[in-house]
Amino acid sequence: MTTELTVDEAAQVRLWHRVSQFLFREARLLDEWRLLEWYDEMLTDDIRYSVPATDVRGETADALGLIDDDAARLRQRIEQLLNGEVWCENPRSRTNRMISNVEILTDLGTHLEVAANVIVYRFGHGRSDAYVGKCRFELVVEGESFRVRRRVVVLDHETLYEHGKLSIIL
Amino acid sequence: MTIELQRPVGDPIVVDDPERLSFRVDRRAYTDDDLAAREMTRIFDRCWLYVGHESEVPGWGSYVARDVGGRPVVMARGSDGVIRVFANSCTHRGALICSQSAGQARSFRCPYHDWTFSTQGDLVGVPIPDGYGPGFRKADFGLAQHRSDSYRGFVFVTFDPEQPRTLTEYLAGAAEYLDLIDDQSEVGMEVIQGAQLHGARANWKLMMENSVDIYHFRALHKRYVSYMESLGSAPPRRRGGFGRALGLGHGANELPPAAARPLAYWTPMFGAEVRPRIEATAARFVDRFGAERAERITGTNRALMVFPNLMIIDAIAITIRKIDPVGAGHLAITSVALAPKDEDPDIRKLRKSHYLTFLGPAGFATPDDIEIVESCQRGYLNRTVRYSDLSRGMNKEIPETTDELPAREFWRQWDRLMHGDDGHLEAAHRAEMQGAGPR
Repeated sequence: MTTELTVDEAAQVRLWHRVSQFLFREARLLDEWRLLEWYDEMLTDDIRYSVPATDVRGETADALGLIDDDAARLRQRIEQLLNGEVWCENPRSRTNRMISNVEILTDLGTHLEVAANVIVYRFGHGRSDAYVGKCRFELVVEGESFRVRRRVVVLDHETLYEHGKLSIIL
Repeated sequence: MTIELQRPVGDPIVVDDPERLSFRVDRRAYTDDDLAAREMTRIFDRCWLYVGHESEVPGWGSYVARDVGGRPVVMARGSDGVIRVFANSCTHRGALICSQSAGQARSFRCPYHDWTFSTQGDLVGVPIPDGYGPGFRKADFGLAQHRSDSYRGFVFVTFDPEQPRTLTEYLAGAAEYLDLIDDQSEVGMEVIQGAQLHGARANWKLMMENSVDIYHFRALHKRYVSYMESLGSAPPRRRGGFGRALGLGHGANELPPAAARPLAYWTPMFGAEVRPRIEATAARFVDRFGAERAERITGTNRALMVFPNLMIIDAIAITIRKIDPVGAGHLAITSVALAPKDEDPDIRKLRKSHYLTFLGPAGFATPDDIEIVESCQRGYLNRTVRYSDLSRGMNKEIPETTDELPAREFWRQWDRLMHGDDGHLEAAHRAEMQGAGPR
């Protein structure tokens, strides 16, 4: 026996599908080093991208984190990565982002709060590393698609002792 | 073609030859497991080691638990207000009495059998006490307290009860630089929450050398330099700078800032809005300390190396970087930011932001440092090239910041301690100390 979805449920499934597709596309552009496309097409002008410290997890306003980029610094990070100036990403590492547990936490019509889990595998320079974290996105609705305004990746690692560094965009 | 100079008699690790202006380190120092084990007993079991900053244990019962010199310790402020450093190990059967890295405690309770210790280290609770005879005294089972002391808020510990030097004696010329840091606030400095915990697949000494090496800056950190220039950072308003040997293995570089300093040195990259506040602070420092010392505190960058494993870099922000060996081929880094407790909130924001631009595992500079020390460690696998050269500046009376005097100071102390203080390098050391800076 099949149950028909109510109108509301169908809309929710469609929204969840669109959000998931959006996050998968983001992951693909980052994996393919199409960083400028990602920056230009998927982020708002007032994007904020942060990775909190591994000891003070979550966002504590007073705490120092690992990354807290506004649009200008993120743009600079991207240009450095692309023009070969980042010595530890030249040659470029290969990455593979696995996004799962995509959940729409709040839907305010004009913007959404979305949670997802991520594992980013990075291979290069004789190393293989995995970064495991929980993402929070604030997505601004733009027609049938979205732009990311806030992008926080909370790493689950106790330390980055094994990784040494975080030279890619998570 | 012969690459190698002849190996000196006795096969020493550190080959210091002031007459030929040559200073070489045998790369076994970075790769040899026996030497790494000996470093733990000859250096880390004997020196004064940095534990933390007093601001990390602000109130009664506040504590931090961390590894120092490979040993788990707890730094706690007791209910009497005194800061003590204990072995983080129950005196009964050895479990960690503190498994959280920081917190607030009324007492420390071992989870194994519920032995309970006061924040001053006394054993105050033993469940089912009738299992012990009349000779059992709680007083004999207090937490092992290490010899610790603090200088201007920086807490150090030594695991050597026979360590002949007091902390202040041990710090030698480094104390002056801790003064220049702690003088930056009338109400005290504080560690900002959030530690950057990372590491590298490299010997710990490579990271010490890297932290005090300014020669690599323009080559390796080109991307950081171009980012700063894009923000409008101006070239230094004065040239110069110099490296110093501070005695007992400590060293420093001092140089004019190429960028702003959040304390009291404004450049356009900070924005016009905060300019009056920063300049007012600068003026207050002139009132407090006089023009010359104020300029040294507010208008000078410095990198201080305290032997064996502490770096304090005071530039666009202040970072306290503790570098711990993990065997011969790995190191662990703990970095935190230090700032005036009474800092203006807007300026604190700038400080944190610019800290992240440069420093930490995702900054625009540190990742390349991590990669390069790992690259050196890999290069050492080719044992044909036996020595690294650290002779830059031996030809000068006052070595510049792009010279390698602080690294030589480090290695000379390393060599003395690894040989059990036999002092065979004392003479060369003194000769270079005499020409080691204008002050």
